[in-house]
Amino acid sequence: MVGMKDAVSGIQETFGDKIQRVELVRDIPVLSIAKTDLPAVALHIHSAPSLQGTLSLQWAADLRPRLAAYRIYYLFTLDGGAWLILQTDLQGDDRLFPSITPRIQAAKWYEREIRDLFGLVAAGHPDLRRLVRHEHWPKGTHPLKKDFPWNYIMGRQDGEYRFRHIEGEGVFEVPVGPIHAGIIEPGHFRFSVAGEPIMMLEVRHFWKHRGIEKLFENFGLMEGVPLAEKVSGDTAFGHSLCYGQAVESLLGMEIPLRARYLRSLFLELERLHNHIGDVGAICNDAAYSVALAHCGRMKERIMQLNDALTGSRFLRGLNRVGGLSMDLSEDQLNTVVLQINAVEQDFAELSRIIFNNASLTDRLETTGILKERTARDHGVMGVVGRASDIDRDIRRDRPFAAYDRLRFKVPLYRYGDVRARMRVRIDEVGESIDLIRQVRAAMTPGPVTVPVVAAATPGDWALSAVEGWRGEILYFVMAGDDGKIHRCKVRDPSFVIWPAIQFAVLGNIIPDFPLINKSFNLSYAGTDL
Amino acid sequence: MFRIIQKSLKTGQVTGQYPAPTQPQPDVSDAVREKASVFGRSLTIREVDTGSCNGCEMEMNALMNPVYDAERFGIHIAASPRHADALVVTGPVTVNMERALKDVHAATPDPKLVIALGDCACDCGMFKGSYAVTGPVERHIPVDVKITGCPPRPSEILDALLKLQGRKP
Ligand code: SF4
Repeated sequence: MVGMKDAVSGIQETFGDKIQRVELVRDIPVLSIAKTDLPAVALHIHSAPSLQGTLSLQWAADLRPRLAAYRIYYLFTLDGGAWLILQTDLQGDDRLFPSITPRIQAAKWYEREIRDLFGLVAAGHPDLRRLVRHEHWPKGTHPLKKDFPWNYIMGRQDGEYRFRHIEGEGVFEVPVGPIHAGIIEPGHFRFSVAGEPIMMLEVRHFWKHRGIEKLFENFGLMEGVPLAEKVSGDTAFGHSLCYGQAVESLLGMEIPLRARYLRSLFLELERLHNHIGDVGAICNDAAYSVALAHCGRMKERIMQLNDALTGSRFLRGLNRVGGLSMDLSEDQLNTVVLQINAVEQDFAELSRIIFNNASLTDRLETTGILKERTARDHGVMGVVGRASDIDRDIRRDRPFAAYDRLRFKVPLYRYGDVRARMRVRIDEVGESIDLIRQVRAAMTPGPVTVPVVAAATPGDWALSAVEGWRGEILYFVMAGDDGKIHRCKVRDPSFVIWPAIQFAVLGNIIPDFPLINKSFNLSYAGTDL
Repeated sequence: MFRIIQKSLKTGQVTGQYPAPTQPQPDVSDAVREKASVFGRSLTIREVDTGSCNGCEMEMNALMNPVYDAERFGIHIAASPRHADALVVTGPVTVNMERALKDVHAATPDPKLVIALGDCACDCGMFKGSYAVTGPVERHIPVDVKITGCPPRPSEILDALLKLQGRKP
């Protein structure tokens, strides 16, 4: 555990005037550094025993027209949860920045993403193939550059993505996707196998890239919520909450207590129906379909509850900048508690049955192990992280909504296998139900929204984090002229965890892949944006 | 084993326990119904996601849970387009999925139906005009039925499918 002030002064001592400037932006220390010095400082933050920073997000912004420069940001989560940001500017025509990927694995996809979206090249990156832009996108199409029109009509060029290959006797490749058997999102998986076990998996995504971050720039700060709800449909509330919080902190808004409680309540409802659905789906992929039927029934019950309360099964249209668009009556709150109490008992019975099923346990144990070391290197968190001994939870580490007033346990398992991921979910179902009851007991009458008074200064930005049901959702929102969004960086936890799955499957057999994949249950839409 | 049977018995039947659809859906034309009539009382669906937010997928999945249990109306989900009578397409058709959509359509044997599911598939929804989107679906392949909503509720999807099958007026 390291305090923020000590961390910053320690870094300043080590690097002296290489740290050009230190400022505090909404309590987050931001260190400006020349690009040539950046890798050394980043590596220090990453590996110094007192800091142990995890790279949580790396992103860029085109600062034109205010400044003829691109800025690259690096967000580190230090041991204990404190945040620290490094930033470096690329002036004028400069398109090169030094890659930190050779030493910090977590930067790998971020730097490829920055290259595709901005045309900025991470010099020294070991893998500069395209990531977001598939090969048929014409040269020079970098959508997040300010001079790239949002409604550009994309041409088509020839090109081929070069998969990594393993060669040798008996090695063959199994391509799967982008369209899968089942009602799932599109993505491509390429397995290299020799006999049964998987020797290598390469995940190729971004089939669903819809240009969300560019579309955000068409909106005013107050208008972004409906788009945030569509980043990943299953996490509509988590994403809209995170976006809302970013803008609220940008405008210095204090959210009324009742709205904060309700936000926690809805976020936990979202967690509940997703976790219960996932437990069923994991069982189903081990051919235990009765459990799926029961879980599907319970999940449906909560989604119908959502619908009855709010008019949306996915809790859409609830969040707004400044609070919530609706309140719940006393009767409705009582119904919530009644319903979740029933689900609690129902689910507890089912999970006892699930755990007593020896053949199921046999399938789940030691399957798809994500080692703690690998998870840490990739910056993995959320459900998947907590199953691999990564003790992080934004609700506890950087409380938002009403979590500073609520008590809950953060489940933690060491094994990192499918069973551990299922257990984290089952434990969290219990915690969520308890949280909802606490919210109910603690809620006092009051307003659920505050009016907007201030306007944001162009160029000012805010960062916010929400522990969605998958893990940490991050939003970076920078204000532009006339109350518009200048840049909105969206990060669903899935983006971070996908690369790690490539390691979790090694040595497993292909028929176990659907099971492993289900136990991660990552979002494709949230990754592809 | 006994405990799960006991649990299932205790739970009883849940099928059909959902509120009636509220959002009106456009009617299915006689011509399309005629086209669908060759499949008789069953309909095998291949679901294709061309860039949805996953909301529409979740509701399609819900259709298969015990509460809606679309199987009781002969509605199945096929693992391959080659086994499908109908494609259910979601999402605004991204630049990256355009090819795959056309390939799937070509791989589905005739006669076939195409159902656009959700506002994104019907008219690109919020993503209309984006550089990364080339839809809507009907720009690329002929669409027979449109089910609107963001996302449409499972009861609404089921309603539209029953109309298509001629089980409902
Ligand atoms: S119609 Fe709505 S729910 Fe369906 S994919 Fe589009 S945004 Fe998602």
